[in-house]
Amino acid sequence: MPVDNKRVCGPEESQSPWLFLQQTRGQPTWVPQTRESERRADSRRRRGQVDARPMFARCGLVSQAKGSAYIEAGNTKLICSVYGPRETERKDELDMRAGRLVCAFRLAPFSCAKRCPWIQGSQEKDLTLSLQESLQPGVCLHRYPRSQIEVNVLVLENDGSALAHAITCASLALADAGIEMYDLVIGCSLRQDGAAYLLDPTCCEETGDESTENQGSLTVALLPALNQISGLLSTGEMKEATMVGAIRVCVEGCQRLYPAAQQCLLKSVRRKVHARSTDVDVGR
Amino acid sequence: DDLRVDGRGCDDYRHMEIETDVVSNTSGSARVKLGHTDILVGVKAEMSRPKLEKPNEGCLEFFVDCSANATPEFEGRGGEDLGTEIANTLYRVFDNGRNIDLKSLCICPMEHCWTLYVDVLLLQCDGNLFDAISVAIKAALFNTRIPKVQMIEDEEGTKEIELSDDPYDCMRLDVENVPCIVTLCKIGHRHVVDATLQEKACSMASLLVAVTKKGTVTCVRKVGGGSLDPESVFEMIETGKRVGKALHTPLQEILQKEESLGKKRHKVGFLG
Repeated sequence: MPVDNKRVCGPEESQSPWLFLQQTRGQPTWVPQTRESERRADSRRRRGQVDARPMFARCGLVSQAKGSAYIEAGNTKLICSVYGPRETERKDELDMRAGRLVCAFRLAPFSCAKRCPWIQGSQEKDLTLSLQESLQPGVCLHRYPRSQIEVNVLVLENDGSALAHAITCASLALADAGIEMYDLVIGCSLRQDGAAYLLDPTCCEETGDESTENQGSLTVALLPALNQISGLLSTGEMKEATMVGAIRVCVEGCQRLYPAAQQCLLKSVRRKVHARSTDVDVGR
Repeated sequence: DDLRVDGRGCDDYRHMEIETDVVSNTSGSARVKLGHTDILVGVKAEMSRPKLEKPNEGCLEFFVDCSANATPEFEGRGGEDLGTEIANTLYRVFDNGRNIDLKSLCICPMEHCWTLYVDVLLLQCDGNLFDAISVAIKAALFNTRIPKVQMIEDEEGTKEIELSDDPYDCMRLDVENVPCIVTLCKIGHRHVVDATLQEKACSMASLLVAVTKKGTVTCVRKVGGGSLDPESVFEMIETGKRVGKALHTPLQEILQKEESLGKKRHKVGFLG
């Protein structure tokens, strides 16, 4: 078991007080009562089932990084920074022909309802792998032989569909860094509960009642202009027809998010050009 | 054309050999040989405290070890990445509480439950690991025998665990709903089931579909560095469901037949 020697950790076994509260009231969910009533007021009435949450995206926040992006959708906040292309440490045969994409997906310890320890758990490794597999088809790695591009995604607050927004954020950061890409990769997730489905679920909507049939979550990563699915990850038991329908809905959701991502990139380019022209003026 | 290098069709599996109860120290074990891929699964049942979020259920813990026997690449910590990837996929496939009845693994709510440690050992690697591993896990869980325990409460209120005297008095698991993973590799315009290492090298992307006996899909995951067309994704899911569904019935029959042979069964083990 990897033990964190650098930080002073709390007791090994510590639990959230909400657990004990739920058991006395007989409720299975993690979320305390107040947030649930807010959720019903906010998402169910104002958002239709195929509406993703309005997304705020901005590039170029981290000054030290080659490229960076910040996405906020509802309460989910993520930041991504891209470093590279850098020379690789390992000189494998594969690295001679094409570059490598090294991804890291981190959840801040305070981001989820339950505290995540600093040591990377298996869930983070799993999501890192999915992130890398989703981004790889979009990046022109053959243009960067013998180099590696590092993508670091940090989830500041996880209110549902963290992976989907991480994919979008990472591709915006890669574009901001000037890495050559075939297309932006947009991620979208869906929650299926029986016959109803909800696009871009919040954390409460993601955890459903276990006993309903045909329930699960699905995340799809799409290259919209080329209409290619670069990433697909699902959990939960669903019928095949439901799964196919859910994938279609996610693909449409990705297509609808595409213009927002493009607008964000255009604004950042304009800002950079403007900054450079004012610098030149000042220099004279 | 539906013809591959070794003469199989696009939807055919290689010759598969399954044997259960190979390791005597475990609660259940199974060995699967699919072509040259060799997987050994051991299941050990141990008592532990249930998770706080799910006080009435037991749990399944997966661990995959890519031993250095399989390929020299796995020497030292080389096989760790692949092992964690397979273990994470298995957690995801079994994540919903509907495949194995976890409530039957509970002994005393909030205090004691059975944890099944499923340990997978890769002895030989010849492509298509996920399929072989999922079949081996299903066979091992079918073979698992968990001793029956009872909680007895004393007059003072202290609880004691009582194990039945008969060593053969065991609880068996219902593996009807345990899914099997089908890996479909996209090669050119077609997709193939059960790809060998050479076929895997030709494909850019594959799709993992975990299918239960009823035809429901538990997990879909795209692996590999390429992208897939949505239409081909739908076709692959459909093929995966068809092939997966067809895999369960013969598997169940073979397991039942092997069980019914009882003491007369000639154990091949690792000698064959």
